[in-house]
Amino acid sequence: MAERGFLLASLLLFCCLAGTCYGIVLFSSLPRTLVVTASPSQGQVLVGGEDKITVTWGVNQSLPAGTDSAYKTIKVKFCYAPISQVDRTWRKTVDNIGKDKTCQFQIVAKPYDASNKTVQSFELTVERDVPSATYFVRAYAYNSENVEVGYGQTTDAHKTTNLFEVQSITGRHVSLDIAAVCFSAFSVVSLLGFFVAEKRRAKRSQ
Amino acid sequence: MEAQPTKAPSFSLPVDPADQKATEFRPFSIAPPHMRAFHLAWLSLFSCFFSTFSIPPLVAIIRQDLNLTETDISYAGIASFAGSIFSRFAMGPVCDLVGPRVASATLSLLTAPAILSMCLVSSPNSFILVRFLVGFSLANFVANQFWMSSMFSGCVVGLANGVAAGWANMGSGVTQMVMPLIYSFIMSFNVPSSTAWRAAFVVPAIFQALTAIMVLAYGQDLPTGNYKKRSGTTPKEDLLKILFNGLKNYRGWILALAYGYSFGVELTTDNIIAQYFYDRFDLNLELAGTVAASFGMANFISRPTGGLLSDAMGRRFGMRGRLWGLWVVQTVAGLLCVLLGRVNSLWGSIVVMCCFSVFVQAASGLTFGVVPFVSKRSLGVISGMTGSGGTVGAVVTQLLLFSGNKYSKQTSISLMGIMMLICTLPITLIYFPRWGGILCGPSFEPHKADGSYHLLE
Repeated sequence: MAERGFLLASLLLFCCLAGTCYGIVLFSSLPRTLVVTASPSQGQVLVGGEDKITVTWGVNQSLPAGTDSAYKTIKVKFCYAPISQVDRTWRKTVDNIGKDKTCQFQIVAKPYDASNKTVQSFELTVERDVPSATYFVRAYAYNSENVEVGYGQTTDAHKTTNLFEVQSITGRHVSLDIAAVCFSAFSVVSLLGFFVAEKRRAKRSQ
Repeated sequence: MEAQPTKAPSFSLPVDPADQKATEFRPFSIAPPHMRAFHLAWLSLFSCFFSTFSIPPLVAIIRQDLNLTETDISYAGIASFAGSIFSRFAMGPVCDLVGPRVASATLSLLTAPAILSMCLVSSPNSFILVRFLVGFSLANFVANQFWMSSMFSGCVVGLANGVAAGWANMGSGVTQMVMPLIYSFIMSFNVPSSTAWRAAFVVPAIFQALTAIMVLAYGQDLPTGNYKKRSGTTPKEDLLKILFNGLKNYRGWILALAYGYSFGVELTTDNIIAQYFYDRFDLNLELAGTVAASFGMANFISRPTGGLLSDAMGRRFGMRGRLWGLWVVQTVAGLLCVLLGRVNSLWGSIVVMCCFSVFVQAASGLTFGVVPFVSKRSLGVISGMTGSGGTVGAVVTQLLLFSGNKYSKQTSISLMGIMMLICTLPITLIYFPRWGGILCGPSFEPHKADGSYHLLE
């Protein structure tokens, strides 16, 4: 029994270690090599479906040349600020990027050319499905195996500066409100109608 | 001259001539009044379960639009059962007064606007309020069982009760699968997500209203007709006596606790399981809903099987057999619940969840195999206590384990299993002097006629 427990424990340990060899990338291990900016200023509110956001990204020029030689794709994403993560485990930040839920909405994904040193930019109308919350922008750099090898973000390491808000549509529609009220009325009226009919039937049978 | 009886009603089912209750149960017939009442009863309760549990499968999208926190979601889950604690207890006397047909239809028609108001919800507090109001409809369970007991004679009432409750409980499973499909269907018309989920709630509301209208139009309280107002036949004092007689019976309390940790656990799992699969195993909304649905849909056979097993054990070993059956099945369910929280793979979780659903739902059926024997005079009170106990268990479990971030969901599920094991132990304390208990045999003395414990005939 003890041997089986030991075997199970060592098997689990092996799997965990094997995992680290097989593409579990930890965010804390990524170098901050990209410089990312976004058009919204601190505290600005963007309306989903209407307002536009412009993001720019490029490799930090002060870093030694060749830092970005492995970069093949850059993906820029909306990421939840800590205040929007409070008491919401479905937006939790974990070090394992594969399990991390901080950045769930992609702004753009563009291929990266290491020889082209200019800063890339992209303008997007904020999608309607981006929920109301406080965000910052982060860009991940991927190599040819689609593994994260670098990042950059608009805010500081503690995610306190340069945060902006997105306000999404409520989804309530006048026609839906009217339909709801009508069906509710139908429900209550049919109950009253039944009681009235029963009373009339009872009076008639007397 | 003797008064001639008016024309004896002829039924397509064999009946007990004393009270016209059916002595056979034929689920595939819709002959009035017995089988028609059965189908109306389980359909209308099905629609109530469908409505109450139509919200959990869509919570993953609703939480984004309403900016809900874990705390809000867990409070809403607790609220959805809190109202039904009192409404279930009150439903017993109400059925006595106006009959199960009018009682259940009135409740369904008055709570249909509650589920419709999900279309209008735009803040966490209104979300919690709507879930609270919709939960009242679960009191129709008492009306359902009351109606079956009025239509079916003692030899088949267990089976009728079990099948009616089991098929109705399936509503909690079917809705987990259907609501995401309705949502996707509405979105396919280029409707934005935040409008689509609101529009989806029109479906459960209409379904609930339609079944209530059918109950009023085609249903009948008793084999001989509908309830007339029982004025003067049950004076208030008698009602209070029956109430206290039921409340002071310790077996009712133990069964209420046990039901709280079989049916209560089932209700809690209905509330959290779709989100659990969505968050932990990264399934998409429809798939998480389908997996969660298979939990509730097992009710089709598992709850009736529990009732059948209880009857079979009763025939072979008497009340001791019924109690042993209940304790064993519920304990196994508890062990499977502990295991569910420890399994790390998707398929392992699904398999364990399916086994768990069968055992926990059979335990619910087995509980109501013991309830009719606790007290004949206060049957309604004992049924109401046990029924309420189910929802109390759900509320307590959700409050302790699934609100806030103290434990991860998988740890909470395992702890729920441990609570089940502990709260099932008191069943060993149930003792009937006439029939015995789990640990001791009967001590019945034929000379002493104990009036409170009659076998339900």
